[in-house]
Amino acid sequence: MSDLLHNTLSKHFGHSAFRPGQEKMISQVMSGRNVLGLLATGGGKSVTYQLPALLLPGITIVVSPLISLMIDQVQQLRARNKIPAAYVNSSLDPAESRELLQEIATGAYKLLYVSPEKLQQPYVQSVLKRVRVSLIAIDEAHCLSQWGHDFRTDYLRLPDVIKHVGNPPVLAVTATATKAVRDEICDLLHIEAEDVVAQPLNRANIALDLAEVQDEGERRGKVVELMNSLQGPGIVYCSTRQAVDVLTATYQLEGSRRVHGYHGGMNSMERMLIQQQFLSGDLDIIVATNAFGMGIDKPDIRFVIHYQLPASMEAYAQEIGRVGRNGEPGYALLFSSKEDVHIHQHMLDREYPTQLQVQQFCQLLSKGIAITSEVLAAVDLSEEMAGMLSFYAEKAGYISKPGTAMPYDQEKALHIWQDTQVRKRQKHQKLFGMLDYVQNNQCLRRSLNHYFEEAEYSFTLQCCVHCGLDRVAYVGDIPQKQEKKDEKPWNLRQALQTLLPKR
Amino acid sequence: MNSHNSAGEELDFLCLVALNAMLPLSNERTLQAAFYILRGRKANQTLQDVHLYSLYPYYRMFPRFTKEGWDKIVSTLLQKGFIRTVTRDEQTKKSTFWVTQAGKDFAEKESDRFQLNFWLAPFSQSDMAERLGLFWLRLHLIVQTVSHLLAGELGFVPIVSDKRTQRWARTQLHDQVSRVMWRDQLEEELFELLYPLPIEAQELIVSQLSGAAQVGKTLEQIARQRKETPSYLQLPFRYGLAACILRLQQESECFPLLSRLVIETHKFDSRLTDSAAKTYQLIQRGLGKAEVAIRRNIKESTVEDHLVEMALRCPEWDYSDYLSEELGDHIVQTSEQLQTSRLRMIKDQLDDTVSYLQIRLALARRQGEKVK
Ligand SMILES: [Zn+2]
Repeated sequence: MSDLLHNTLSKHFGHSAFRPGQEKMISQVMSGRNVLGLLATGGGKSVTYQLPALLLPGITIVVSPLISLMIDQVQQLRARNKIPAAYVNSSLDPAESRELLQEIATGAYKLLYVSPEKLQQPYVQSVLKRVRVSLIAIDEAHCLSQWGHDFRTDYLRLPDVIKHVGNPPVLAVTATATKAVRDEICDLLHIEAEDVVAQPLNRANIALDLAEVQDEGERRGKVVELMNSLQGPGIVYCSTRQAVDVLTATYQLEGSRRVHGYHGGMNSMERMLIQQQFLSGDLDIIVATNAFGMGIDKPDIRFVIHYQLPASMEAYAQEIGRVGRNGEPGYALLFSSKEDVHIHQHMLDREYPTQLQVQQFCQLLSKGIAITSEVLAAVDLSEEMAGMLSFYAEKAGYISKPGTAMPYDQEKALHIWQDTQVRKRQKHQKLFGMLDYVQNNQCLRRSLNHYFEEAEYSFTLQCCVHCGLDRVAYVGDIPQKQEKKDEKPWNLRQALQTLLPKR
Repeated sequence: MNSHNSAGEELDFLCLVALNAMLPLSNERTLQAAFYILRGRKANQTLQDVHLYSLYPYYRMFPRFTKEGWDKIVSTLLQKGFIRTVTRDEQTKKSTFWVTQAGKDFAEKESDRFQLNFWLAPFSQSDMAERLGLFWLRLHLIVQTVSHLLAGELGFVPIVSDKRTQRWARTQLHDQVSRVMWRDQLEEELFELLYPLPIEAQELIVSQLSGAAQVGKTLEQIARQRKETPSYLQLPFRYGLAACILRLQQESECFPLLSRLVIETHKFDSRLTDSAAKTYQLIQRGLGKAEVAIRRNIKESTVEDHLVEMALRCPEWDYSDYLSEELGDHIVQTSEQLQTSRLRMIKDQLDDTVSYLQIRLALARRQGEKVK
């Protein structure tokens, strides 16, 4: 078995050796067991389901919430690894979906990527039932857990779907998960304790640092200075879009490196351009909200600065995990001030509904009218909040049939509100976990690993600020202000030939 | 670069654009009307204003305008004494505005300085703003794809994530013959197309494109590099795209590949919004407006908006079920006598039995004929 796995790895993926944890996960899956694998982002999650897909007789289904990642992986599989792969998600129109599903029914593909919401559709399920599903891989499996920081309602029905397509082996993979989250995933997907393959979360080459600031001016000044001096490339994470805009604008006036902001308020084309510029080295530093980084693999990132306190330890671990994947020394510095907690509390207050908003939403449901964006705007409810409320309403059995009115149910409305309050309290708990990390004076590496109930504390260069840290080790060459580089006279022919070179 | 100055210049330029868009709306519309036009709101009222007052160049000029940004512009214009507000209707508190002589002088002088008339000249077609967006997405994606094709790299991350555009590009490169054509001729066609443009526009278009050896810059990055205001750069950029579209239409035989970028492959009647096109299909099958509303599960007033859109853009539509020719002429005459397009004023002059829908249809039809 081991030989077969190694041969396939080198032939189709071009790697001579497995990364830690990969081989164990693969061989357990191949022997028909349900497996939970915890691998850091960039730790080679995709190989753990792509390789079995090649060897198993039927088709492998990969459930992933990230459409861009899906498309990217499928293109790579087809082009480089010569593996017949396809994806079904909301980007296909109904005709294309139908056509593709017919091809799938004939057994044309080894790997199929599906978004969780598409997997709920009866038609998709009926096609999958007809073909032989050898394996279901669930990417970002922490989205299954209500205790997780990123719970997604469309993941909740996955266990039913698995049953529906004939209970094939399941491989759940994720980057970060606390004990409670792991337990819930294992429970939902029937994974035995001995089939959990975890890589130590500890990243020995990243030094952990903290800085407390009194006010915004001090914070901005220090961050701008570090952005100039630290060895790049790097990412600065902010909690809000506004903070991204302000810091970027400040830096672009005072700083000397090539820096750009990135957040969900920018249009998709701009976001893609900025991301690609960063990957290709045209930019030194990205200032971003947590919208940046999912699915991005840039091995040479040398630092991550958190401009403000992140919302959870899970988010923090994931974001600093992007540093130093090539093994070079990495540096993670977290800025915090007393006000940071209030920013998060304010965001939570806006994210979760008031009792009145729940009542208004239930009254809309009772009227039996279609919930459109105009209807929502009239009662001042955001579409995100309506999405959340629909989920909890459905859970509580508050389901309206379009066109038929029903009496308003006070009790159920109260129940729905209480449900959302439970979630809100959980998020508060996460925030307090984060607060605890910055306030207690223990070794940060120990606190971080302790939070995830791990006991691996080794480090290569430096440990953390509480154990003693010399920041000079992470300072790079001071860049010169690069200007006048692009001031050649314009030449259309030349510019076009850079883009489209003559062969 | 001084931040205060560049922000100030940006605001000055936006004030100028806003003022130009507001001039024809003076005494006719609310202050928000110009905001909706510049943002490119797809509501029928806005689309009709664009036609009625020939504001085609301004439609969707700044699709990402925020309400706060707009308020800042309005307060600056008021403060400088370029516009004044007037309350029209004491009951509804509806207000309009007028542009002062100082405002008109400023608009004229600054328009010359920025060569506004030159840059806006290609925007004579009513749907140019919509076409611009589609053309740019297609151009960006096809250049990126062909560039990677030339470099022999098959896996790349498309900068354009719009699915319709991706499907279009996939169709273009579907078979071996077309792939070879795109690969071998795109550069030359692109050169022919861009060469006659002002250098400023050429540079803006090409530096935003991506390929195997270059990641495109954002307009904001180019603006910073050149120390210009990003909003101003919209002018030569949009000019460049619009000029390309017009040329590809007129000389399609010279551009066998790139002319495909301006062919609409729309399921619906492309003259109308999708929703209005669906209504038009039902109306053509003989349904009345109430029936359409029930069938489509939309409000009757929305169907009326669609009818007005049809009157404006579909000259073949027979609207006699809703408006007789004589009444239509009478409404148009009234509007001309009063020198206004404001519905309320026209309605006050007419018989009580005349509906707002009839007035709107008549005005839309007149405008539709003018455009022809
Ligand atoms: Zn330590």
